Amino acid sequence: MVELDIEKLREIVGKDNVSDDIADLYVYSSDASVHQAMPSVVVRPGKTEEVQEILRYANQNKIPVIPRGAGSGMSGHTVPIDGGIVLDMKRMSRILEIRPEDLLCKVEPGVINDELNRALKPHGFFFAPMPSSGMICTIGGMIGTNASGNRAVKYGATRDVVLGLKVVLANGDLVTLGTNTKTDASGYQLARLIVGSEGTLGIVVEATLLISPLPKFKAMAIANFDKLEDAGNAISKVMSSGITPSMVELMDNVAITAVNKALGLGLPDVSAIIIFECNGMVKEAVDYEMNAITKICEEHNGSGIKMTDDPKEMARIYEGRKNLFPSLSRFGDGLVSTSLADDMAVPVSKIAVAVHEIHEIAKRNNVVMSAYGHCGSGLIHTKILMDPTKESQWEDAKKAVAETYEFVRSIGGTTSGEHGIALSKAPAMKIERKDSLEMMRTIKRALDPNNILNPHKMMDAPDDWTTATKLRYNVRGGQ
Amino acid sequence: MDAKNLKKFEKEMNTCIRCAYCFEECPVIEQKGWDTDGARGKVALSYGLLSGDLEPTQSIADKLFQCTLCRNCESKCPSGVEVCDIITSARADLVEKGYASDIHNTVIKNIKETGNIYGDTEVMAPLQEGEVPLFVGCQYLSRPNKTKKYIKILEKLGINVKVGREICCGFPMEVLGFKEDFEEYKSRFTELYPHQTAITFCPTCTVFLKEGHEIDAKHVLQVILEKIPEGNLGMKATFHDPCDFSRTLKIIDEPRQILKKLGVEIVEMKNNKGNSSCCGGGGGILMSDSKLSDDIALARIRQAIDTGADTLITTCPTCETVLKKAATQIKELEGKDIVVRNIEDIIWKGLA
Repeated sequence: MVELDIEKLREIVGKDNVSDDIADLYVYSSDASVHQAMPSVVVRPGKTEEVQEILRYANQNKIPVIPRGAGSGMSGHTVPIDGGIVLDMKRMSRILEIRPEDLLCKVEPGVINDELNRALKPHGFFFAPMPSSGMICTIGGMIGTNASGNRAVKYGATRDVVLGLKVVLANGDLVTLGTNTKTDASGYQLARLIVGSEGTLGIVVEATLLISPLPKFKAMAIANFDKLEDAGNAISKVMSSGITPSMVELMDNVAITAVNKALGLGLPDVSAIIIFECNGMVKEAVDYEMNAITKICEEHNGSGIKMTDDPKEMARIYEGRKNLFPSLSRFGDGLVSTSLADDMAVPVSKIAVAVHEIHEIAKRNNVVMSAYGHCGSGLIHTKILMDPTKESQWEDAKKAVAETYEFVRSIGGTTSGEHGIALSKAPAMKIERKDSLEMMRTIKRALDPNNILNPHKMMDAPDDWTTATKLRYNVRGGQ
Repeated sequence: MDAKNLKKFEKEMNTCIRCAYCFEECPVIEQKGWDTDGARGKVALSYGLLSGDLEPTQSIADKLFQCTLCRNCESKCPSGVEVCDIITSARADLVEKGYASDIHNTVIKNIKETGNIYGDTEVMAPLQEGEVPLFVGCQYLSRPNKTKKYIKILEKLGINVKVGREICCGFPMEVLGFKEDFEEYKSRFTELYPHQTAITFCPTCTVFLKEGHEIDAKHVLQVILEKIPEGNLGMKATFHDPCDFSRTLKIIDEPRQILKKLGVEIVEMKNNKGNSSCCGGGGGILMSDSKLSDDIALARIRQAIDTGADTLITTCPTCETVLKKAATQIKELEGKDIVVRNIEDIIWKGLA
């Protein structure tokens, strides 16, 4: 890589929006993953033309460019494995248009999910993909990872609601992809290709998003299960019954313990709970679906089912679920939550067997693993709870991660359901998608011949995630 | 570097999963916008100093001192990470390496030499005999008229306070990174203030008498609430919860109940009670980074103006000073009017 011309970058975006200071470089060297690698410079563009100029400069000089939203990714998406320019996109945070009559809005990539929803609310609309990190995650980051969240079970993931994109390509050219309509059969669906491409194909500078009318009625319930497989079977039955719940969340006992400890939620100490929600415009329809789900849970030995349509109580339950991932760090003394094997998806009928196996894998490998997630869409979150300062625990974690993904593949599941691949899931994805790796590389080479856009991620990432970068923890050896 | 203060927090820093939930409504990140400015960035820098990834630099020190310690991040952190303790420990390690700012050094020197943050030998507590020990604190000692007013309010309500000679509680030593100095200073404080209980005027002193000196401190409003009569002020105002009040001490309802009793209608700001926004005066930035402090205060005063109330009432002398300045600035910048008053003025008027 040539030496960076920091002055040139300052000319493009202004001196206050460029930093090569050690404090900034160090903070931008990591995200919510286990990885760490230093960028050469952090740049905060404020408009499309600036992004174009930065990419023209970077492409001419073969300098890596890594786009970053909130930096809350869990697999190392924004960790600059080859150094280069980290593009902090949060200054591009304008909501450009809200068009309820067309069911769409147009936004810049730095808009925060919750802020968009606050702006849509007075129009009676909302943006459906709702990750737990909605209060801080950016639309650009959600597009990069094809994020979904707990309402994806009804409304789909980010890819399903991106109608069009404006993207700056590696050579600085600006292209408009997709359209303003929900149906689109005009050539390759390139906007859909960009969604989930983790910044490897272009930098999104504007998104046209499908928005949905806010439902008038909503109800939520919690069902307790003494056996995990009963909970899994209940979810499978609900999803195949023709009911369309707006949320179906599973929490195992590890997750219940953690959330009770960290947030004092007072959830029952059972093997699993399911939180389910239905929404709609007709109260009777919502009640009908809630009752039907309740009946299915009861048929599968679900007990203590409490239903509520009180907004405060629903918010309390939702808060607990939303804060589950960080709460896991309070599960047990010395164990902290690491973002590993965090978001596999399996066929809905396999949830129970997958969760059971995850617990077995954890036991075999001296770590604790929770299993929870948007199980209505087959998504299981696990985090590995371990002592990250001990070298031996990383060996344990490496084995647990490999065994988890091997099992997920064996039951027809996939490596990542919503967080993306980047570095820590790349070895597993490369096994799972071995037939399409070369196709992915061909697309990458065609759009980014100098390999400057978030290089060495996904199909091009190293084969061993533990050595792909320095681990961001103070690992000291010992048992 | 030998990060002896941070060492105690290694596990706590590992607990931070870097989710960035702490970005939400962080007053510093809202003004400056870099990831480095939020709690996650500051925890990462602290971790880097502890692990040896980072050697101390002025820029790292600047970032760690650019925090109001408002505890918004702690209230947003689902992992319950003790962010403020981590930041003050990092500051302590940096101060030992010579990274204290001149202004912070001066404040600490003032405390050691004169017993108050101003270095003013004229500042004196209004000595009086009485039944209940009162701790006035530097901020009120330098505002003798306000102090007298509060003492008279207490007298009117039948509370006879005892005021002795006093020195600063030492809170600035703790938060500005002079932890070792505080350990030495603590015995001097105890000598002059040997009581196990205190009525206090300043929210921050209330917190630190509890946390730094294990004194059962009660803020004056908690005492007043029990005795305040009904009033008929007929005012409409918004209320600013000082961070130490609502987030640390969890004193949220008491000032509102007092104001309601006196006939003040409260119109809440967008961020209120436990989710209050910082005024910009905390954590030492008022002294070391007045531009940042002013910008945070302006954001808060805009929230107050948005309520439509013409008066903002608060309970902390620092918040009052900082927000008064912001009110003047907003008048100049945008032609908008709002009056900032401390609650003792309102109570005084209500009891008149």
